[in-house]
Amino acid sequence: MDRDKGHIQSPALLKVGVLGIGFLFSFPAGYLIWRNFTGDRSSLTLLNESQVLSPLQRSLVLAVSVSVTTAVLGVLFAWLTSRCDLPGRRFWKVVLPIPLVFPSFIGAAAFIRTMNPGGFLNDLLQGIGINNVVEIRGFFGAWFVLTLFCYPYVYLPVAAKLQHLPSSLEETSRVLGRSPLKTFQHVIYTQISSVLYAGTLLVFLYTISDFGAVQLLRYDTLTRSIATAQLANKSLSLALGLLLLVIAGVVVFAERMVSRTTPSAGQSEIGPPLEYSLGGWRIPAVALVSFITLLSLGAPLFTLGKWAFDGIRRGSGNSQPLTLDGGQIWESTWNTLSISVVAGLAAIIAVLPIAILISRFRSKVGTLAHFLVIATFAVPGILIALSMRFWSLQTDWAYNLFNNTKALLVFSYVVRFGSLAMGVVLLSVAAIPRNLEDAGQTLGVTRFSRFVRINLPLMAPGLGAAAGLVILSTMKELPITLLISPLGFSTLATRMFSSFEEAFIAEAGILAVILVGLSSLLTWTLVIRKSDHL
Amino acid sequence: MPRNSKRQSVIKGLLALGISFLLFSCGDDPKTLEGAASTIFDGECVNETDEKIIVYSGRSENLILPVIEAFVCETGIKVDTRWGSSTDMALLIDEEGSKTQADVFLSRSPGPVGYLDGKDYLKPINTAVLDLVDDSMRSKNKTWIGFSGRQRVLVYNTDQFSEETLPASVFDLTSPEYQGKVAIPGSNGSFIDWFTILIDQYGDTAAGEWIDQMVNNGARYYPNNRSIVEAVGRGEIAMGLVNHYYNYKISAATGAEHKANNYVFTDNDIGGTLIISAAAVLESTDNVDQAEDFLTYLLSAQVQSYFTETTYEYPIAAGVQPNSALSQLQAFEIGSIDFDSLGEGFENANRLVESSGILNQ
Repeated sequence: MDRDKGHIQSPALLKVGVLGIGFLFSFPAGYLIWRNFTGDRSSLTLLNESQVLSPLQRSLVLAVSVSVTTAVLGVLFAWLTSRCDLPGRRFWKVVLPIPLVFPSFIGAAAFIRTMNPGGFLNDLLQGIGINNVVEIRGFFGAWFVLTLFCYPYVYLPVAAKLQHLPSSLEETSRVLGRSPLKTFQHVIYTQISSVLYAGTLLVFLYTISDFGAVQLLRYDTLTRSIATAQLANKSLSLALGLLLLVIAGVVVFAERMVSRTTPSAGQSEIGPPLEYSLGGWRIPAVALVSFITLLSLGAPLFTLGKWAFDGIRRGSGNSQPLTLDGGQIWESTWNTLSISVVAGLAAIIAVLPIAILISRFRSKVGTLAHFLVIATFAVPGILIALSMRFWSLQTDWAYNLFNNTKALLVFSYVVRFGSLAMGVVLLSVAAIPRNLEDAGQTLGVTRFSRFVRINLPLMAPGLGAAAGLVILSTMKELPITLLISPLGFSTLATRMFSSFEEAFIAEAGILAVILVGLSSLLTWTLVIRKSDHL
Repeated sequence: MPRNSKRQSVIKGLLALGISFLLFSCGDDPKTLEGAASTIFDGECVNETDEKIIVYSGRSENLILPVIEAFVCETGIKVDTRWGSSTDMALLIDEEGSKTQADVFLSRSPGPVGYLDGKDYLKPINTAVLDLVDDSMRSKNKTWIGFSGRQRVLVYNTDQFSEETLPASVFDLTSPEYQGKVAIPGSNGSFIDWFTILIDQYGDTAAGEWIDQMVNNGARYYPNNRSIVEAVGRGEIAMGLVNHYYNYKISAATGAEHKANNYVFTDNDIGGTLIISAAAVLESTDNVDQAEDFLTYLLSAQVQSYFTETTYEYPIAAGVQPNSALSQLQAFEIGSIDFDSLGEGFENANRLVESSGILNQ
C-alpha cells in the first residue's frame, strides 16, 4: 500500500478542503500566539523558572505515568473483550467505555468521597482490619483517578483494531510453534502499535490539559497555575497556555516519528479474527475486569447515586425542595444527547478528508492538518472557548452569523475533540483494501460512489468507535458549553457544575446518574447495532 | 426494509415527544409562578414587554433562576442568561470587550467585578440603587453593588474538636496545637478576596508572615470551600477556613453523617469578615434602566429573604432578618472593609499566596 503512496497526484479539491479544515483547527493556536505576542507585556519573559519549572515537571511526570498505565489496561481489556472467551463479553463491551463520561470535577469528588477517610469504602476496609488505606490525593491520587477515567482512550481504538486483524498471520505464527505470548509480541503488538501510540498520546494530552481532577486531588500542575493566574496575571496564564501547546506539539511530532518507523497497519481481510481460550485464566481475567470496573464506575456511581437518592427523598419530604424540576432535567438530557451526537458526526466529517489525504497520498498539507488537530487536544477547554469568542468577534458578519448559535458550539466541540476521532478514522481509512477500490475504478464507478458504496461500509466500525469517543467526551464538556453555547442552553454537565459549585449535591448527583445512564444507552446502542465494535 | 421503517418510527416517536414537550413548555404563559419562584412572587404575572436584558451569572442557576423568573413575572422584562463560574464570565466579558451582549454581571465575590472595573468595563450605577445598601457594601467608583453576604468561618470536625478548644483569632492557627490540622482554599476566589482584605488591614508583611507560618505549621491546601467542608465532615482533616454557608447546605443534604460545625472567631477578628457577592452593569449596555431595575429587584425584601432562606446567606439590604439558623453578625463585620482595595490588591494577594508554597503540595 505504501508503495502506491506518492505516485498518485492528490486531488486538488481534497487538498483545498483539508487546508480549510486545518485552518479552522488552528484557531486556538492562533489565538494563543496572537495574545502572547501582541500584549502590552512580552509574556514569554514571564515564564521565570521557579514558577513554571516545577508545575511543568509535575504535569509531565503525571502525564507519562497515566499514559503507561492506561496503555497497559487499555490493551489488556481490548484483548480480553475482543479476542478471548471472557465470560459476559457483551456486558463488558457496554460497560468498559463508560468511565470516560465522568466530568473529572465530579468524578474525582465522588472518588474522594468514597475512598478517603470517612468515606464508604474506607470505612468498609477499616471494618475488615485494613487501616492504612492510601489516601487518594497528590500524585498518587491524580495518577489513580486519571488512569481509571482515561483508559477508554486506549481501549476503544485498540479494541476496534484488534477486531479487524487478519487471522492468517496469527495462525501462521502458531503453526510455526510460537507461544501465544510470542505471537502477541511479534504479530499482534506490531499490528496494533500505531493505534496504541495514538490512543496513549490522547491520554498524555488529556492529562496535561486536565484541571478538574488534578485540582480536587491537590496535585499542583501547569493547569492550576493557568487557572489561578487567569485574573490576577492574565499574560502569565496565556503564556502558560502557549507552553502547553508547544509541549503538545513536540510530543505529537515525536509520536509521528515513532509511528512512522514501526510497520504500518495492514489491510484487513475478510473473515473472523482468531479467538483465544482463556482456560484457567478465565477467573483471574473476570476478577480483574470486575475490580477495575468497580473502581472506575462503581465507586463514583455509588456516591453520586447516594446523593441523588438522599436528594429525592428529601425533595419528597418537602423540607428542602430540589432546585431542579423535571422539565429542566429533560431539557438538559435532550440537549446533551442531541448536541453530542451532532458533534460526533461533525468530528468524523471534519477529520475524514485529512485521514484520506495522509493515508492515500503524500501531502505536507495533510501532515500539517493532522498535527494541528492532535496538538489542540492539549489546550485547556477554557482557552479554546475564549479563542472561539475572540475569532468570532473579529468580523461583524461572522459575529452576526454565528453568535449564540449551536453551529458555533458544535464547531468548538469539533476543534476540541477532533483529535479523538483522528487516530481511529486514520486507521479505518488505511485498512481499506486498495484492490477493492481499484476494482471499482475499473468498473467505471465514480469516485464519490466508490467512496459511499465500498469505503464507508468497510470503515463503519472504526468510524463508530471514533464517533463514540467524541460523543462521550462532548457529553461531559464544560467550559466551551458554558461560554460558547446559545444563551439559556444547558446540558447535564453544565447544570451539574452549576449545582455542585454551590453545594447542591443532590441535584448534581441526580444529573450525574442520568449522564451515566445516557452514555450506557449510547454505547449499548452502538455495541448492539454493530456487535463487533466500540 | 422492515428494520429501517421500525427505526424511522422510533425516530418519529422521539420527534413527536420532543415537539410535544416544546409545545408544552412554551405554550400559554402561566399567570402565576410555581416552585421556588413563587416564594419570591406569588401574584399574577404582567404581560411580557419587548424589553430585554442579558445577564452573565457567576452564581449558580439553582439559586438565581427563581429570582429571574420572579423578575420577569413582575416586570415583564425578559431576561436571557449565561451561567458559569465568575472567573470564566469575567474572562469572557474581557474577551468580548465593548461588543459583549451582557447588560448585567453577577459575581460570586468582589474579585471578578474588581477585575472588570479595573479595565473600565463597568458603568456607574444610579445613586438611588446604590443607596439600597450600606456604603461599605458597594464600590466607591459606584460600579458594583453587593447583593448577599457570606461570612468567613472556621469549619471544624465535631469528633476531633469542640468549640471551647478553638482559637479566638485566625492568627492563633499558627500555633503548634493546630499543626497539620487546618485546610486552606489557597486558590479560591473568596479566600483570595479575604486575604486581600487581610493585606489591606494588616499590611503586606504581617499577611505574608501569617500565610508562611500557616504553611510551616502544615496547613493543607484544598481547591475550594466545598471540598474543605466535605472533607472536614468526613474527618479527613480537622478544620478549614471557608465561607459559612457550605456547611449548612451539605448538612441539609447529607444529614447526620456530616460531622462538622461552623465556628466564628471572636472579638471582631478579621477571620470572620463578611465577603459579598456583587452585581454590576456593563458600560456597553443599551438597557441601563432595565439593568438597574434588575439590580433593585435583587435588593428587594422578598429576594433578600429568599437568599437567606434558601442558601443561608446574609441579606445585606432592606432590613431583612438573616435565616434563623445563622449566627448574628457583629457590628464589625458590616461596614469596615474597603472592598475597593480588592481590585488593586488582587494581584499582590495572589503573589503572596503563590510564594508561600501553600499551593504546591
